[in-house]
Amino acid sequence: MITAHSLTKRYGASTAVDNLTFEVPPGLVTGFLGPNGSGKSTTMRMIMGLDYPDSGSTLIGGKPYAELTWPLREVGGLLEAKAFHPARTARNHLRWMALTNDIPLRRVDEVLDQVGLSSVANRRAGKFSLGMGQRLGIAATLLGDPGVLLFDEPVNGLDPEGIRWVRHFLRGLAAEGRTVFVSSHLISEMAMTADRLVVIGRGRLIAETSVSDFVARSGGGTVKLVTPDLAAFTSALTAIGGNVSDGEGGSLTVEGLTSPQIGEVAAQGGLRIYELTPIIASLEDAFMELTQDEVEYRPSTMAGAAAAGAKE
Amino acid sequence: MTQAIQSVPLGHYRVKHVVKSEVLKILTLRSTAITVGLTVVAGLLVTGLVANGQLHKFPGYYQGFDPTQNSLVGLIVAGLTGGVFGALLITGEYSSGTIRASVAATPRRPILLTAKIGVAAVAITVFCELLSFAAFFLGQAILSGGGAPSASLGSPGALRAVVMTGVFIALMALMSFGFGLMLRNTAAAIAAFVGIVFVLPLVMHGISEPDLRYVPTNILTNSIMSTVNQGGPGGVLQPLSPGIGLLLMAIYAGIALAIGGALFLRRDA
Repeated sequence: MITAHSLTKRYGASTAVDNLTFEVPPGLVTGFLGPNGSGKSTTMRMIMGLDYPDSGSTLIGGKPYAELTWPLREVGGLLEAKAFHPARTARNHLRWMALTNDIPLRRVDEVLDQVGLSSVANRRAGKFSLGMGQRLGIAATLLGDPGVLLFDEPVNGLDPEGIRWVRHFLRGLAAEGRTVFVSSHLISEMAMTADRLVVIGRGRLIAETSVSDFVARSGGGTVKLVTPDLAAFTSALTAIGGNVSDGEGGSLTVEGLTSPQIGEVAAQGGLRIYELTPIIASLEDAFMELTQDEVEYRPSTMAGAAAAGAKE
Repeated sequence: MTQAIQSVPLGHYRVKHVVKSEVLKILTLRSTAITVGLTVVAGLLVTGLVANGQLHKFPGYYQGFDPTQNSLVGLIVAGLTGGVFGALLITGEYSSGTIRASVAATPRRPILLTAKIGVAAVAITVFCELLSFAAFFLGQAILSGGGAPSASLGSPGALRAVVMTGVFIALMALMSFGFGLMLRNTAAAIAAFVGIVFVLPLVMHGISEPDLRYVPTNILTNSIMSTVNQGGPGGVLQPLSPGIGLLLMAIYAGIALAIGGALFLRRDA
């Protein structure tokens, strides 16, 4: 369990993290979502005891990070892509870390095996690709078999196979009862990985909710339906409260109903479905809507348009 | 994949755990081998050249000749590369991001700082002592082989000079380590070290009647390495005594480490 209470961090005149309070429970993947520069990394660094908050506090299982007796056995953190010396081998990087917390050195080979780096264990880490570097960082988080894990943008720079691996891996950690807190600026990624979301913008909490609630709150999302029975579907879905409109290529766009609900309608009416796709873009829309005013850096033309639209 | 989360054992991490880790860190870096190798080669090469340059002089040349100092003076070059080594020990962690991993692994910063400075101090001092003795024996071998006056460790002041030279150069490297803690950047730390130790004295020569006795390189050659009283009459300033000179260098290094350490404890990692 990770808790943050009234967490605030200022850099000179700008406030990176602004009175942030949230909870990350065990047994779930909690996504930490926000645009670039919204304070996600700063928050994670404060949880890990690297940066000092100006006010407020963070606790790991009720204790400040600095008071953990064996930090690596309690918390694993991947906070930057390449937090290792390029001249040191992967194995030696993990060995020095293991020594600090009296972790048996056999764990080094175990975690290297776990992330698939055994064959390059004695290669200098500076020669690693971004993906291999991420795997080494993930191996480091597992060294002490900790119950709490933090990952800052773990899929950055990974290929599709690597992204899938990380996603599966994070879910596996949570399924074992661990607390998993993973940041991303990619909502589609979070939609597939996370159970819960902590959404921030400009350092402020925007939402702390389950992924499904987050979608529901933004209007339920839409479903793309491809069928030859356009008229029958339109009337049947409208009858149970769906908002049906014509989509591209002869498909229907259904708002306010879920895929299972549409499937039930099809079964009852004997209607044909060629394709039924929940549109994840609505999640992105929800995110954009929520963070509209909270994006720190954006092109001036967009900012100008937004300002004009809001009549500020 | 691990099946069950291991419970956290009793006790807590201590300085000894971090010391083991820091030793491994030093031993597993190529920059260690490079800077150490460079220090040995440069130090002994200049030692050999200096000693060789003292051979085959006219007899009067050896009046007041100090064979001990002549065998050690080449190590001023080692002070330069040793300073680079000292700075790299800590700035390498900052440039690579390893420092964040270190602080996350052992968040009680006084423990981490103690282990880091302790390991650096012992490793650097042991190495500098070995180098100082090696330079002395090499220099004396060349001098005696060439028929010039030479010294042994039993000669008055010789053992003191050799031992103190090792400690002094180690202190210079530790001062550089302090600059590294302060500036967190390799280029900046090395620039500060070279600027203060090697360039500042040159600048001071521009001042009329500069008192250079408090400058590290001057203390090293005139107070630490010397076994012959070089002070003379007629306005020539008496060099600091070896003890005072070494103490002063320890204070310089201590100030750099204290400022660097205080910043390390206070600042975000």
